[in-house]
Amino acid sequence: ATEWNVSVWGSRRAFTEHIERLAELLDERTDGEFTLNISYGGLSGNRENLDGISIGAFEMAQFCAGYHADKNPSITVLELPFLGVSDLQQEREISQALYEHPAVVADLARWNAVLLMPSPLPQYNIVGVGDAPQTLEDFDGMAVRATGGIGAAMETIGAVPNSMSATEVRQALDGGLVQGVSFAPHAHMSFGTIETGEWWTTNLNPGTVNCPVVVNSDALAALSDEHREVLMSSVDDALDYYIDYYNEQTMAAWGPALDERGIERVTFSEEELQAFREAAAEPAAQAWIEENTARGLPAQELYDFVTGMIAEGGM
Amino acid sequence: MAAASLVMTDDSTVSRLDRGLLEVEKLFALISGLAVFALMILAVISVGGRNALNQPIPGYVDWIEQAMPLIAFMGISYTQREGGHIRMDLLVGNLKGRALWLAELATTLLILILMMLLVWGTFAHFLRSFDMSQPLWSRDSSMDIGLPIWPAKLIVPVAFGVICLRLMLQVFVYARAVVQGTERPVGVPLIADAATQAALEAATVTGDDNDDKGH
Amino acid sequence: MDSITIGLIVTGFMLVSVILGMRVAFAAGISGLVGLIWIFWSRRGYDPEAFTWALGVAVQTAGQVPHSKISSQALSLIPTFILIGYLAYHAGLTKALFEAAKRWMAWVPGGLAVSTVFATAGFAAVSGASVATSAVFARIAIPEMLAIGYDKKFAAGVVAAAGTLASLIPPSAILVIYAIIVEQDVGALLLAGFIPGVFSAFVYTALIIGMALTIKDFGPRVTGFTWKQRFASLPPALPIVAVVVIIIFFVYNPFGGDAWGTPTEGGAIGAFIVFLMALYRGMRWPELRDALMETAKLSVMIFTIIWGVLIYVRFLGFADLPGAFSDWLTSLDMAPLLILIMILLAYAVLGMFMDAIGMLLLTLPVVFPAIMALNGGMNVSAEASAFGMSGPMCAIWFGILVVKMAEFCLITPPIGLNCFVVAGVRPDITVQDVFKGVMPFFIADAITIALLVAFPMIVLWLPSQM
Ligand code: NA
Ligand code: NA
Repeated sequence: ATEWNVSVWGSRRAFTEHIERLAELLDERTDGEFTLNISYGGLSGNRENLDGISIGAFEMAQFCAGYHADKNPSITVLELPFLGVSDLQQEREISQALYEHPAVVADLARWNAVLLMPSPLPQYNIVGVGDAPQTLEDFDGMAVRATGGIGAAMETIGAVPNSMSATEVRQALDGGLVQGVSFAPHAHMSFGTIETGEWWTTNLNPGTVNCPVVVNSDALAALSDEHREVLMSSVDDALDYYIDYYNEQTMAAWGPALDERGIERVTFSEEELQAFREAAAEPAAQAWIEENTARGLPAQELYDFVTGMIAEGGM
Repeated sequence: MAAASLVMTDDSTVSRLDRGLLEVEKLFALISGLAVFALMILAVISVGGRNALNQPIPGYVDWIEQAMPLIAFMGISYTQREGGHIRMDLLVGNLKGRALWLAELATTLLILILMMLLVWGTFAHFLRSFDMSQPLWSRDSSMDIGLPIWPAKLIVPVAFGVICLRLMLQVFVYARAVVQGTERPVGVPLIADAATQAALEAATVTGDDNDDKGH
Repeated sequence: MDSITIGLIVTGFMLVSVILGMRVAFAAGISGLVGLIWIFWSRRGYDPEAFTWALGVAVQTAGQVPHSKISSQALSLIPTFILIGYLAYHAGLTKALFEAAKRWMAWVPGGLAVSTVFATAGFAAVSGASVATSAVFARIAIPEMLAIGYDKKFAAGVVAAAGTLASLIPPSAILVIYAIIVEQDVGALLLAGFIPGVFSAFVYTALIIGMALTIKDFGPRVTGFTWKQRFASLPPALPIVAVVVIIIFFVYNPFGGDAWGTPTEGGAIGAFIVFLMALYRGMRWPELRDALMETAKLSVMIFTIIWGVLIYVRFLGFADLPGAFSDWLTSLDMAPLLILIMILLAYAVLGMFMDAIGMLLLTLPVVFPAIMALNGGMNVSAEASAFGMSGPMCAIWFGILVVKMAEFCLITPPIGLNCFVVAGVRPDITVQDVFKGVMPFFIADAITIALLVAFPMIVLWLPSQM
């Protein structure tokens, strides 16, 4: 029998349901001959999962590209602001296609890692306190917790990005240190920002993070052909389950969670957002391409690949 | 308020090596202390900047994370030299002469093996974040403003390398004390009773008025 | 051999090497490393040729731990809180506090010991680390107690025990660590520690007065201070109030407005104010350098334990020992309160062998979810819960209980960090002496903990005002 150790972090949540489902499927389809032992934080810190894969300490792991851009520059293209991805299914398809791009494969091969599947997340949006912004101009001078590309995007409309660890976010919002926090809905719920928040932006959609699941390439090669086939063929089923779960459980809980707490939904007009996108998206994309070309990546090609797929998919 | 050092000195080669290494260790510990001070100043600037200018320090958390290895590791050998890493001396405290030095030799040797393996492990951790072919030689960067992490990771094996030198010296001293049956070897921290005598002797010689030593 | 058995054997090895006198941080580190090698080698069926592979993977796995675990913003509070303690010493605050406490309280039976407790409680309001507090007061209070005839064991014991107040009365590094591990509001936890901390000080005081009344030649009262002398002692101690106010306002604004920042910043600003005060009082580079070196030494000692224990914890993760414990605990058929009490007792036993931070780091990932589940889950209402409090309130209550237990462990043999530090500062006092002297305070702590369990409002009243 083969048992793989899987390193993830936090606790079991929507974000890890595809891995849990994959474990069930493998167990069923190999009659218990190939199993996954999923560890929540026991095997590695959440920013060292690629290191652990590279060493061979465990066989499978999940991580987010934005935690350490220099470890995985090629997939950070999916974290650029305002790519215009419409839903989880599209996020999944684009990620899966990108993960097969030779430059991306080579980038992760530096870590002895093979990309297995994405963990698609919806667009980030801001939960805030104080007067709800009526227009984007109201963000001028507002202190927001937003990191990386999303922080840079918010800066173009005059917001002041503050950096702090996720665990200090609630305190910072309570204390008025920041007036807004940018997270995906499940994180707004688990880090408690909606307990204090008074409004939520429905359609700012400045971007998201890309969090793949990878496997150690030696371990993958060492699998029997039969087990490897079962693993690869179970990925799509696991992802179907994940997306259903996120849409039906998390997003279904999100609306009522907002209503219960009387949180105001703020929606911006399409014209306004268009101006924001033009101001923020283009410079960020250009900077990304320039920086990653310097690394020796075919950055323009990767960017065109992603934006091309989104254009085809339609909005 | 510096506590009395528990390490005996004389003009033997071992003692000179001990004091030579101590200079390096003191420098490293001072860097660690200055990093704590810098952390404090950074917070003052951050709070001041935010309140007075509505302009917080970009990447405040990233900078703190960069400073932490300086604080946590640079002083490790100095602390070992002074016998500052805590232990339970209920048993060893009752040993004397050869039995004591044998016990010290055994535990120090184990620590030396651990630290040599960790120099390897932490250096490998550094190497995974370091790539000369990349901009800023970086293969791992911080979350918010993308600082290269390799310098901070390199601090760990460097500091651990220094404590390995210290442990080698201590292993040598303990081994020689086992062989020669020395009562109070130079260059290693002595435990309470012997140390008290040593401190008192030192005080009479130098006229040190440190009130910590009085009974 | 299955991984649980390996886990238990390696844990036994660690305890034995600690008892044999190996320095704790390294005993934990080497146990973790040996355990990792064992686990990885067992996966290859102990094939002799696979040993170097197992060694390499284990060493590299352990080698990630020091940097990755120490580079955290939350842990940066620890050196800052320690630095405040040393700077306050140079600012004359500790002496001023002790002098004021002496003039106002030393007339009661056991007066100098009582004064020590109150001066330490006052100092706790600027110091976030118990060991640093004990270290400072070992220098100030012990000589005075010895001078008027206190037993040196008891004098050392008072300082070691009173030092633990620093971790309940905010600021507190260990409450921050708890909040980070269980992902709860740091501010609410810091606030919740205040009343139990003061409460503990009163229980210590009652114990000392009781001992002074019953034991012959315990240590005389100190009388004869005039009211003028008493009031004259207050102004030098007053700056401490300013620092307390600043730190509290960075956590929570009692007047309902915005807090001024985060606890991390509050700690640093507090340190900066004390630094300016020390400059004003004549601290110059040589003294500052000494304070920085001492801060470095104590911080390094704590951080070395943290990463050493975390290498061991990483091994436990691979051995899945916490998971096995969690399954076992939740399968028990017992009243929740009884289970809670048994967990607290288990902490008392574990704490005999471990330091406070290591113990919390080691156990909370397993124990905290179990406690929350016992109460009815994170989102349970007070009415529907087992302990009669909502999920977040239960997290705060348990946090204070567990930190009080961890502080208790700082004074219990064989590994009681505070006692080691007091003995370290005073070469004439052995660790065994301190352990003997601190023993009466075990009773005081047991009473305090029992009352905090029986009357949760002592803990929860203040944070529920937030
Ligand atoms: Na305190
Ligand atoms: Na203890």
